[in-house]
Amino acid sequence: MSIQIQNVSKAFGSFQALDRINIDIQTGELVALLGPSGSGKTSLLRIIAGLEELDQGAILFDGKDITDVNPKERNVGFVFQHYALFRHMTVFDNVAYGLKVRPRKTRPSKADIQKKVTELLKLVKLENFADRYPSQLSGGQRQRVALARALAVEPKVLLLDEPFGALDAKVRKDLRRWLRKLHDDFHITSIFVTHDQEEALDVADRIVVMNNGKIEQIGSPEEVYDHPNSPFVYDFLGNVNLFKGRIQNGKLKHGSFEADIPELFSQNHEEAIGYVRPHDIQIEKTKISEDAVHTTISHIHIIGPIVQIELKRTDAEEFLEAEVTKEHYHSLQLKVGEQVYVRPKQLKVFIPEDFSI
Amino acid sequence: MAGHIPLQQTPTTIKVTTVSQEPKAIRWTLTFIALAFLALFLVLPLVTIFITAFQKGWETYVAAITHPDALSAIKLTLLVVLITVPLNAIFGVMAAWAITKFQFKGKNILITIIDLPFAISPVIAGLVFILLFGAQGLFGEWLFEHDLKIVFALPGIVLATIFVTLPFVARELIPLMQAQGTAEEEASLTLGASGFKTFLLVTLPNIKWGLLYGLILCNARAIGEFGAVSVVSGHIRGMTNTMPLHIEILYNEYQFSAAFAVASLMSVLAIITLIVKNLIEWKAKHT
Repeated sequence: MSIQIQNVSKAFGSFQALDRINIDIQTGELVALLGPSGSGKTSLLRIIAGLEELDQGAILFDGKDITDVNPKERNVGFVFQHYALFRHMTVFDNVAYGLKVRPRKTRPSKADIQKKVTELLKLVKLENFADRYPSQLSGGQRQRVALARALAVEPKVLLLDEPFGALDAKVRKDLRRWLRKLHDDFHITSIFVTHDQEEALDVADRIVVMNNGKIEQIGSPEEVYDHPNSPFVYDFLGNVNLFKGRIQNGKLKHGSFEADIPELFSQNHEEAIGYVRPHDIQIEKTKISEDAVHTTISHIHIIGPIVQIELKRTDAEEFLEAEVTKEHYHSLQLKVGEQVYVRPKQLKVFIPEDFSI
Repeated sequence: MAGHIPLQQTPTTIKVTTVSQEPKAIRWTLTFIALAFLALFLVLPLVTIFITAFQKGWETYVAAITHPDALSAIKLTLLVVLITVPLNAIFGVMAAWAITKFQFKGKNILITIIDLPFAISPVIAGLVFILLFGAQGLFGEWLFEHDLKIVFALPGIVLATIFVTLPFVARELIPLMQAQGTAEEEASLTLGASGFKTFLLVTLPNIKWGLLYGLILCNARAIGEFGAVSVVSGHIRGMTNTMPLHIEILYNEYQFSAAFAVASLMSVLAIITLIVKNLIEWKAKHT
């Protein structure tokens, strides 16, 4: 089922949680709503589920306006952040709940419910836990029960609120892969909310980056990571180095640093900030080009196969962060205190509209 | 297991290691003082009730509690309990639901009003109903014209009892439901359950022990209420006397054995209530 979110706004008192949001989601897509807390992503998810009313705008399922439809008639599967399992019911009864509460006409027979629930428990690998209570399960198991329960009603849309937020790193990664596989097998249109950029980049077909109730950027993981359209997206998706300077004759100048930005030739004397990802920083022992900056290595962290290098610029009281592979690090033979030149391989310049950043 | 309900009245047992290191003499003295105090102020009066009740023999005891006036008082008390406790259960659940699951203006005022009966003297509660529904009261004339009796009749007693027992259920449920939040109800709605089914299948099982506990307290108070009922009942023998009022009348007429016989019956009811309360607390902790 496709979902259209049209011009949706929502305020809680004086706080504007959502401000004219427009998103088109195709059938079978897996979309991540990514943003910091307070960006409105959970409110949007709850509005799609019908758990929250919107102030303005419309939600369309398959082109049909369902803005005023009761949540129980929307046929969405919702997985809550803290699972919201029925604590007084066994795992089996939790999963069977959505089928048991149907009106008599559409309710499956007892045998059918039994079959369906067993099938789902097998799918989430919990067939041996049917008689347990939620409090007797681990976080990852509860999460899977919550998923099975949501899937039992055969929803056309699956909505997940911070689905892996409360789990430890290892379980989180496993469940992430598992969710991706589940989505590929069932092709249910799915939207999940997360504040973890890695999770969004890893799982989603498309990412909606939100901030302060507004959409910053919509695009594939590659698009939003490699071509962020705003400083916020740059900052939020991974680490970033800033080169705050001024545009002069098509060059961004800051201290001894100079980079060619031909497309900004007309924006003379404008304040501008250059954004560079740590892995786009080239470390050289000698100065080869104009845009190389003289720095001193202040710290080296080796994290598995990746080496993070903290550098202090000699022309300014500013630090830069570079990321290189271990091989490259060994071939350069870098040491703390060594003087090196760094050069951005890829630099994106934004001119701040107002100096609120 | 499923329901973990933090009952407000149950203090958590904390293992105190430092006290047990005190000298034996101090431990014994403290225990003795506590027990002696309990014996003097709780056990002794209770025993006295039963001793005095049986002082003139089994026959007098049976005669006292099977006297038509006594039987009518017992019946009236039980009838009042049967009416007020379910009404309070319904009101308490509705009030707690409204306060904990919805956001609305005037919420704090509602919570304060629910507590009012705890703060007001029962006598004043009784008087309020006299002023409203009595012969000289606000609605007195209208009620008289339509031949409706509230004061000095069953409706008045029920109203007064409801008034004094109003907070018990709601007070018990509000913190419990606040702690549980609304996520499970929301999950139920998204799974296609109606509001009523959600209440029946999700909310009610989660609050059942808290609700029962509130009902037990409400029940105990409804049986024993004296002040408010005394004002509105009119003390008509065999008609509007509840058990506490009947005991007072017997006592004032120097029928001590009879008074204590009825009192012993009430004490038994109270003890049963206590046992049920403890059973529920134990059950709530172990499920």
